[in-house]
Amino acid sequence: MAAFALIWWAASVLTDNPLLLPSPQAVSAAFAGLALDGELFTQSALSVVRLLAALLIAFAIAAPLGLAMGMSKRFEEFVDPVVELLRPISGIAWIPLGLFIFGVGQSLPIFIMAYTATFPVLIGTVSGVKSVDRKLVRAAETMGLSQSAIVARVVVPSILPALLVSLRLGVASAWTAVIAAELVGAPNGLGYAISWYREMLVTPKMIAFIAMVGVCGYFCDLALRLLAARLTPWAPGAEARR
Amino acid sequence: MNARLLRMATLPVALIALWEALGRALGGPRTPLPSKVAGEAALLIMSGDLPAALAQSLGRVFSGFAIAAAIAIPLGIAMGRLRAVERNLDPVIESFRPVAAIAMLPLAILWLGAGSGAAVMLVAYAAFFPILIHAVAGAKGVDANLARAAATMGVSGATLARSVIMPAAMPQIAVGLRIGLAVAWTAIVAAELAVGAKAGGGASGGVGQMMFAYYAYSIELNRIIVCMIAVGLVSLALDRLMRFALARAMPWIET
Repeated sequence: MAAFALIWWAASVLTDNPLLLPSPQAVSAAFAGLALDGELFTQSALSVVRLLAALLIAFAIAAPLGLAMGMSKRFEEFVDPVVELLRPISGIAWIPLGLFIFGVGQSLPIFIMAYTATFPVLIGTVSGVKSVDRKLVRAAETMGLSQSAIVARVVVPSILPALLVSLRLGVASAWTAVIAAELVGAPNGLGYAISWYREMLVTPKMIAFIAMVGVCGYFCDLALRLLAARLTPWAPGAEARR
Repeated sequence: MNARLLRMATLPVALIALWEALGRALGGPRTPLPSKVAGEAALLIMSGDLPAALAQSLGRVFSGFAIAAAIAIPLGIAMGRLRAVERNLDPVIESFRPVAAIAMLPLAILWLGAGSGAAVMLVAYAAFFPILIHAVAGAKGVDANLARAAATMGVSGATLARSVIMPAAMPQIAVGLRIGLAVAWTAIVAAELAVGAKAGGGASGGVGQMMFAYYAYSIELNRIIVCMIAVGLVSLALDRLMRFALARAMPWIET
């Protein structure tokens, strides 16, 4: 890590153009400055709140749908073609059309992220439901549990680990998409801040915001890992590493 | 079987019909309709615009992907086999990994201009991490006995890496390559879109730029949708191609 900072510093001295490659000191000063006047946090908070809103939407759509698709073969046959038709179209490809429908604002990044996160969660849920131990379901049936009780007591707990893993995947891809969406079509947020400071040619602040994208992404993933360790302590790999 | 096909076709056909009907009943002259989209698709393909844009994007994806693979596979193997390399590089890698590739775009534009260079760099950056991580995992997971047997026979260093570790790690690397290619295609669309948006048009080209031009300069929603469908089809085709190529090159692994 120290070697990396050293190489960076040497490269910045050699290029000798603070617009192209500011020195590590300049970037950390910019980072500290942005943190002190709060701009760093307001912009990140905006992006993270959008991420959470989008995740809620994606989850609300994908989890029940995935549950239904996993439980009923017939329902899956109806819905799956639509899913498979839409899935290859990345969320980012929706940006121009989304810009037209929603305009520049809150809804565009949320829409793009919700769309992006829906597919991993959906697919994780479907495959989770399909791999639920049949014996457990039959045992529950034998003991006279109703269909809804089986879903709530047997299916949902056993797919929880798979669901949380797919949520992590969803967050990772949605986070990439939000930056793209904000870069093009939002009046604020991290992506917007990055492109704003590029246009203003304030490279140290731009790099500070780029770094913040990584910091937020890391903490979102960490939060989900902790949640997984909390909710599903029995799942393999659920123990929060690091 | 036929009943199943019928069920599978029901919802897509119904949705497209609904779209067409609603669009005709409520929409204005610009509202995209499936029939118009089909017409525009034919036009764009015949005129060669869409194939040219896709070819440009694909060229960037392949060059970026090749760069990423050329760096990530040897590096991953080194990280997976040599403790010292991993200990030194891992913190750097892990601090860059959560930075979404798109966030690097402004920096790439700054360094390489708003042309192919920035797009290729972005693709390489995006594809680098999945390939690297799978290569590390693959190299770590190589049967220790294989490596020991090779060492007993006096094989070491680069030969060991090339003729023992690499083939044994290949199933994992193959997964990394597939994910990397998918990520690369998403990244190129994003890069071209954002370059188109932020560099004020410019001649960067590619399918992403094409979409943005239809949004910003001539409002052609039907054509945007044609581009979206093309993006989806290409991503499917790329994945199939990759699977096929990997299966051909390494028939012993399961992809």
